[in-house]
Amino acid sequence: MKKTFFLAGLFVLIIGIAFAQTGVKKRRPLPFEYGRVVIDNYSKRYRLAPVVFDHWLHRAKFTCRLCHVDIGFAMKANETDIRAVDNKNGYYCGSCHNGKAAFSSCRDDFGEKNFGTCTICHSEGKDVKKKYDFREFVKGWPKERLGNGVDWEKAERLGEIKPVDFIEGISIKRDKFVDPPDFELKAKVLGMPDIIFSHQKHTVWNGCEVCHPEIFVGIKKGMTKYSMVELYEGKYCGVCHNNVAFPLLDCQRCHTENIQ
Amino acid sequence: MKIFVLYAFIILVSLGLSHGSSLVGTLGNAYGQEEWKQEYADACAKTQNAMLLTINELKEHIERCDTLQERISELDGLEGGTARKVYGKRLKMCRDLYEFTLNYKEKKE
Repeated sequence: MKKTFFLAGLFVLIIGIAFAQTGVKKRRPLPFEYGRVVIDNYSKRYRLAPVVFDHWLHRAKFTCRLCHVDIGFAMKANETDIRAVDNKNGYYCGSCHNGKAAFSSCRDDFGEKNFGTCTICHSEGKDVKKKYDFREFVKGWPKERLGNGVDWEKAERLGEIKPVDFIEGISIKRDKFVDPPDFELKAKVLGMPDIIFSHQKHTVWNGCEVCHPEIFVGIKKGMTKYSMVELYEGKYCGVCHNNVAFPLLDCQRCHTENIQ
Repeated sequence: MKIFVLYAFIILVSLGLSHGSSLVGTLGNAYGQEEWKQEYADACAKTQNAMLLTINELKEHIERCDTLQERISELDGLEGGTARKVYGKRLKMCRDLYEFTLNYKEKKE
């Protein structure tokens, strides 16, 4: 009798643990899914599928600064409030997707006959054949363990990618860049190497405005205290290093006493 | 006959004037639009080396941004609405960076 109760209890415990795991565990995105953003400001309202935006394709061609400063895309999905008319007028996606630099977006003459063009972007939940295949696109590029599986920094160094940082008529001519100094951030866990933060490595693709003051408000080193928990919540470094740039799981990319 | 010619002349002149003034108005609007974009480009050209600007220069840039923000917030119409949204955000990012750098410099002194 005691044995039956014990087995029944064990069974309930195992089932409980199994369901608890599925309840909290988040599936790690596959390399081609990493950095994917689903945008639905108005799509569903107009009976269109939400837009699926792949960061890997765009970051290979443009700097972060170009899109998030010059074109004005917010750092979080659905915060930009993109309307079809904005794209049609040459803003947001329409800055490049204008029929010249890339295929047109949200044109007036899009309808049932050429609906296929809409579904290139408005593709959530649809089986759309994209122009670029991820595996073919990144073939031969330096590998990385996590994220997209690509070492983007090295890819640029080797000339595999040449991200554009200026679009005539949209970007403004800025003075030559002056990099602020690199600095050290002390790790809170004993035995964990400190972080040497390289401003140069971040500014080359981001400029200054992407991070300051929207993401990093503190004006004095050490003034803003942040923890890994906050980073995983998508704050501070986690704004990019949780979604697009190499993920936080890649500890040794930051926690190294030498600049990596 | 003379009166008819006089009336015709007056009508033609007034038509010409009204057409002319609308043309001037159109040019004025177009020029005005370019003017604010140029001012934006000038005011925000120093973001990459904001750290090299003096406190006074930073204050001047912030002031320029504030004046321009008023101008941008007046943009209207369908396209103006988008321009207001896009350039309003771009200008804010630029202004905030100048302010951030100013605070840093003032604290350092």
